[in-house]
Amino acid sequence: MNLRNTPTREFDYFLLLVAVALTTYGALLIYSGSLTSYGSPSAALSHPVSRQVAFAAIGLLAMFVLSRFDYRAFGPLSIALYALSIAGLLFVLFVGSTAYGSRRWIVVAGTQVQPSEIAKVCTVILLAKYFSDHEEQVRSLRVFVTSMVIAALPAVLVLLEPDLGSALVFLIIWLGMAIVAGARPLHVGLLVCAIAALTPIALLAAAHGYQKERIDVWLDPSRDPLGTGFNILQAEISIGSGGLFGQGFTHGTQTQLDYLRTQTTDYVFSVGAEELGFIGGVVLFALFVILLFRCLRVAGHAEDAFGRLIAVGVMTFILFQVFVNIGVNIRLIPVTGVPLPFVSQGGSSLITLLASLGILQSILGHRRKRARRI
Amino acid sequence: MGLMTNNRRRRWRTGRAEPQDPAVELKGKLNFLKIIVVLAFAVLTVQLARLQLLRGHEFHQRAQFNQLRIEPVIPSRGLIYDRNGVPLVENVPSFSAAVVAADVPKLRTIEIAAGLDKILGAPPLETTLKIEQARRSNDPFTPIIISDGLDEATAFHLREQLAKLPGVQVVVEPVRRYTAGSVVSDALGYIGRIDAQEYAARKDVGYVPSDHIGKAGVEATYESYLRGTPGRREIEKDASGREIRTLNQDSAKPGDDLVLSLDLDLQKKATELVQQAAHGGQAAAVVMDVHTGEVLALVSLPMYDDNIFSGKIDDAKLQQYLSDPNKPLVNHALSEQYAPGSIFKQITGTAALQEGVATPSTTITSNGYITVPNQYDPSVLYTFKDWRVLGTLNFYGGVAMSSDVYFYYLSGGYHWYGQNFDGLGADRLALYARAYGLGSQMGIDITGEASGLIPDPTWKEKTFGEPWTIGDTYNMGIGQGYVAVTPVQMVRVTAAVANGGTLLTPRVVREVRDSQGHVIMPDKPKVARRLPISSDNFAIMRDAMAQAVSWGSAHQASLPDLRIAGKTGTAEFGPRHADGTYDTHAWFSGFAPADTPRVAVTVFLERGVGAIDAAPLAAKILDYYFHRPQQIAAPRPQQPLGQVVPQAPGAASAGAPAAMTQDSPVAVDPREERP
Repeated sequence: MNLRNTPTREFDYFLLLVAVALTTYGALLIYSGSLTSYGSPSAALSHPVSRQVAFAAIGLLAMFVLSRFDYRAFGPLSIALYALSIAGLLFVLFVGSTAYGSRRWIVVAGTQVQPSEIAKVCTVILLAKYFSDHEEQVRSLRVFVTSMVIAALPAVLVLLEPDLGSALVFLIIWLGMAIVAGARPLHVGLLVCAIAALTPIALLAAAHGYQKERIDVWLDPSRDPLGTGFNILQAEISIGSGGLFGQGFTHGTQTQLDYLRTQTTDYVFSVGAEELGFIGGVVLFALFVILLFRCLRVAGHAEDAFGRLIAVGVMTFILFQVFVNIGVNIRLIPVTGVPLPFVSQGGSSLITLLASLGILQSILGHRRKRARRI
Repeated sequence: MGLMTNNRRRRWRTGRAEPQDPAVELKGKLNFLKIIVVLAFAVLTVQLARLQLLRGHEFHQRAQFNQLRIEPVIPSRGLIYDRNGVPLVENVPSFSAAVVAADVPKLRTIEIAAGLDKILGAPPLETTLKIEQARRSNDPFTPIIISDGLDEATAFHLREQLAKLPGVQVVVEPVRRYTAGSVVSDALGYIGRIDAQEYAARKDVGYVPSDHIGKAGVEATYESYLRGTPGRREIEKDASGREIRTLNQDSAKPGDDLVLSLDLDLQKKATELVQQAAHGGQAAAVVMDVHTGEVLALVSLPMYDDNIFSGKIDDAKLQQYLSDPNKPLVNHALSEQYAPGSIFKQITGTAALQEGVATPSTTITSNGYITVPNQYDPSVLYTFKDWRVLGTLNFYGGVAMSSDVYFYYLSGGYHWYGQNFDGLGADRLALYARAYGLGSQMGIDITGEASGLIPDPTWKEKTFGEPWTIGDTYNMGIGQGYVAVTPVQMVRVTAAVANGGTLLTPRVVREVRDSQGHVIMPDKPKVARRLPISSDNFAIMRDAMAQAVSWGSAHQASLPDLRIAGKTGTAEFGPRHADGTYDTHAWFSGFAPADTPRVAVTVFLERGVGAIDAAPLAAKILDYYFHRPQQIAAPRPQQPLGQVVPQAPGAASAGAPAAMTQDSPVAVDPREERP
């Protein structure tokens, strides 16, 4: 049956367009945010914008390659990919580079690689594989617990770095995928209740840790106006001073006078909100909503549970990271260092995201024509 | 449909999958995820709108405040020159460590105090308390000084560590260096950090808590001129406090310069001469222009170095000064009062002449003492001694030989043993003494002057509850007993005698000029009053004082080529020794040239005899003044002074003391005189 086996070769150009738009938006903010450190709009290769553009090119290339590659091949590879990413996380724990008090990077060929970004996608793939292999027993407690362990292992390793934000991403990925895969709502409900009950205890236990202090400072930034509280206060001032239309691109005083810290990574949203205002913020939100809806469309069109679950997993971690990153910027949630997908400076995150979208494109493009339904 | 609902409900119970259209179920789950996406972004949008739209204005202002700071621009303090344009002070940079309490994280206060202790040796407890206090005050943004006068290496080291010490700053401020050293400390005084009281009194005129203010000498009295007007700078700063640009600036107006009447060259020489005579004890010497009241030299020994108060106070040196029994920090020429002894006879003598108690030909015989019977029991006799048997003397001889008996008669009279000589009496003598400016402050333009004391019967009754006696009058007539004066008060008395009766207010500042060199406060004598004594009587006193030097008790003050007139004094003080003698202060007060007086000099030595110790010292000072080499015709170092020479004729004295250009005996503007 020739017809049956012909792939649709569908490519979601709209998804590509939104991803490129977000990356461009990010590159512009990185440009503005790095003006003070790089003086002139230099075209040097070390300039953060050139680097980000280079990473985007690599990511887009990965996207096109992966879109032609049958995603089903990731099924047998999933255990190996997962094992490799766990090895990467272990490696970073022991020999990683330290920045801002935690070890998150390893240096490969002169470039910093953040294994937790790659581990997110590998975990999504393994979870998708596991859930799709056990579709019949998905409601059983054994599958529920095993799948949770798959997500918990990288989460714990990332937590040790320490990077609470990324650790939470793994758990949210699992939660989103488990729900869509059909886990029993009773199990999910009990787990959520258990976490809700344990959170205060965990906070008390970590009373001496940096998370506790971050929460205290979040509640009252004046405890440490020039330390951790500085970022919180200055981000709030930056965003607030943007008003409806913003101070103008590259004219935000907070950004250009270095009042914002990590303004090309964790606080890149504050740069946008200061310089482009509420309108700029809402445009960004709209782009993300479109992107996430396109991901869900892939989940809806996917031919099998494996593809569907990958799409849901990717959508979940993008949504969660966007929400946490912007939530921190606008003082909705305590400080946790999570990059803003597509926008924050950083190669690992950008390449991983674009590659993930490539897998999503593959899911769309490798359906059998006959199988098209919805 | 009813069946389906039923199925679903059962599914929860059985825990087993029920047959259901997977496409519908999937669509439901995906729609659920879409709702979550929309909800998540709705939450973000609402919060973003709250920050940007509802509170946007507030945050906009905070962003502005973040970058814009208004800082005071400290004006450069006015400089001080001697009368010949020699600079006496410099403004040099000094480094201090300061803390802005508002920028210190509460939890790290102790850590930062410990860090400062390590670098500066500042006691951490004290630092912590200072920070806490400032934090609670209503102005936690003003830097508080933790440690003054850091050396450059320490300042540099601290600057390197600033990143680890949030809230700490290295402040660079100008401080004074007194280039002439100790010899002019008493006149110049010093500046220091403004204290709480001074700040409270002056904060309305633009002082800030870290300001410096004049504490003594002309630095204090001319504070309002020297300080200048602070400016304001509106600057844009980045997060690390670096200045990006100045948006607006009101420049500071530099302080006005002072030209002192002091002659540094003379001051140095006089200091050296007094040091040789004082043998380490307390001593003072004052040289004054008799026509203008300008103080040309003001020596107080022992000296102190006012540089110890600049920047970081040198505590070891300060302790040494404070524990020295000779009190180097006290101006012995102005702030300490002593019995004047016979130099007071200038007052008794001129008063007696004016009141007709004596004429130049009034003769009195000194047998070495007089006796006075007790007014209730005539068999009890009191003896008042002369310093030796002097025989019969007229007025000139009485002054020249400094006969105490002569002045007992003039002050208290003598009505016993067949004699009937009416004296001035205590009240009249006190009246004249006070007219000469004794017993009250003169209004000199440096801080810390003592009033001295002129007693009278009412005062004694009130103070001791005892009646005034004839002996008190006698003692007062020769400058003993309760009479107390300062050396500057006495040079002023002598200057009044020399100029024919104009009592001048002494001053150490000649002129005030603004930074462009325009004269703000011109050189003009300040006349306190015209004494109620005729110029003839002053001429008699001057003649008598000239004779004291040419053949009398002050003969050791005579010079071959300069006619000096003067009066010695040897004032008894302290407890009586076993042999009936007392310790004595040595005084000399005189003027030169005797015929056309230009300058008056008063010297005081804590221990000594006027004729032996003080008279030759005064002569040496006057000799130097009149006969020194013309070395000060050197080029003027300071432009502002040079510029104004044509405008200020009084200052056209580069090569010679200003007094030389003024020859009339009373060079006082008549308009200034009061009847």
